[in-house]
Amino acid sequence: MLDLIKRIFSGESSSPRDQANSRLRLVLTHDRLGSSAQLMETLKEEILEVIARHVDIEGNPEVRLITEGKHAALDINIPIKGR
Amino acid sequence: MENKNKDGQVIVVTSGKGGVGKTTTVANVASALAKMGHRVVVIDLDIGLKKLDLILGLENRVIYDIIQVIEGECTLKQALVKDKRFPELYMLPAAQTRNKEDITPEQVVALCAQLRPDFDYIFIDCPAGIEQGFRNAIAAADQALVVTNPEVSAVRDADRIIGMLESAAFTDIKLVVNRLRNEMVRQGDMLSVDDLLEHLCIDLVGIVPEDKGILVSTNKGEPVVLNERSQAAIAFNNIARRLSGEDIEFLSFDDESFWRRLTRGLFSSR
Ligand SMILES: Nc1ncnc2c1ncn2[C@@H]1O[C@H](COP(=O)(O)OP(=O)(O)OP(=O)(O)O)[C@@H](O)[C@H]1O
Ligand SMILES: [Mg+2]
Repeated sequence: MLDLIKRIFSGESSSPRDQANSRLRLVLTHDRLGSSAQLMETLKEEILEVIARHVDIEGNPEVRLITEGKHAALDINIPIKGR
Repeated sequence: MENKNKDGQVIVVTSGKGGVGKTTTVANVASALAKMGHRVVVIDLDIGLKKLDLILGLENRVIYDIIQVIEGECTLKQALVKDKRFPELYMLPAAQTRNKEDITPEQVVALCAQLRPDFDYIFIDCPAGIEQGFRNAIAAADQALVVTNPEVSAVRDADRIIGMLESAAFTDIKLVVNRLRNEMVRQGDMLSVDDLLEHLCIDLVGIVPEDKGILVSTNKGEPVVLNERSQAAIAFNNIARRLSGEDIEFLSFDDESFWRRLTRGLFSSR
């Protein structure tokens, strides 16, 4: 919303600089993930294996890397069977 | 100088993308440090496509090259070309008719080990790319300067290179933003230094504006830092001073008005 007001006041839509920034944000996230796609697969398999030994997994388990700037986190979402 | 008895630092200047200003940065920062009285040597590792000798204006004085040193045809001392404009600036030339595969990372490490006791700074001019030439160039380095332009493809390559440097256990990686045009940033047509830092998440060591003086000095074979008045000269001198430990404020080369800054502050959501 504030962005919109800012744009109206400065009389510009998305500037080439803004576009460059959002394109870079996308492409860099993708590049950084790309190199670790295999690693993510391996991690997912092994984590699921350990969990499955103790509880029943159901649905679509997910293991993702979330990056924001220099910071990264593993987002693990494993639905397990309720009673 | 102050660290006469300390071994020299090896600094690789790299970028991934070609033509962003690595050789220009090496030539000028090395010259600036030499002018300050430091003992400096520059190594051209762009084997097969050498340019550093031309940019420094030393092409007529080259006799031997780095491959001849490695293959034992001459001594390291014989191959070093002295730049007479400075008390202690030397260049180790690349070979023009050989390949980047004709030299190994181990050989570069050994060469730098030989140079360390006699110099304060050893600069390595890295070729473009991420292959063997890059691996050779980073092998001996204690720190890396990553040069980029405010442009999406250069930033993407810089990000890749930073990732590779981090995997190679580099902890000292600094960014040089070259060819910045503030009027374009202000008009919203170019990425700003802050934009680049937000994407790349590394420390900044220099902002070099687009400057016609660079082409003029390249034509003459004179580093631009010899011409005190140019904006690029100030920028490269400042990089040299920061590398030698001085705390120098970043010139923005900017005259963005107070009013614009104020309105931006008022309307930005953060
Ligand atoms: N700040 C600047 N302003 C204007 N022109 C510049 C600037 N920096 C570099 N250049 C020009 O850009 C060109 C490429 O510079 P340079 O050779 O230093 O890049 P490089 O990264 O070493 O290239 P390569 O990857 O081919 O080795 C040169 O013609 C140089 O004069
Ligand atoms: Mg070069």
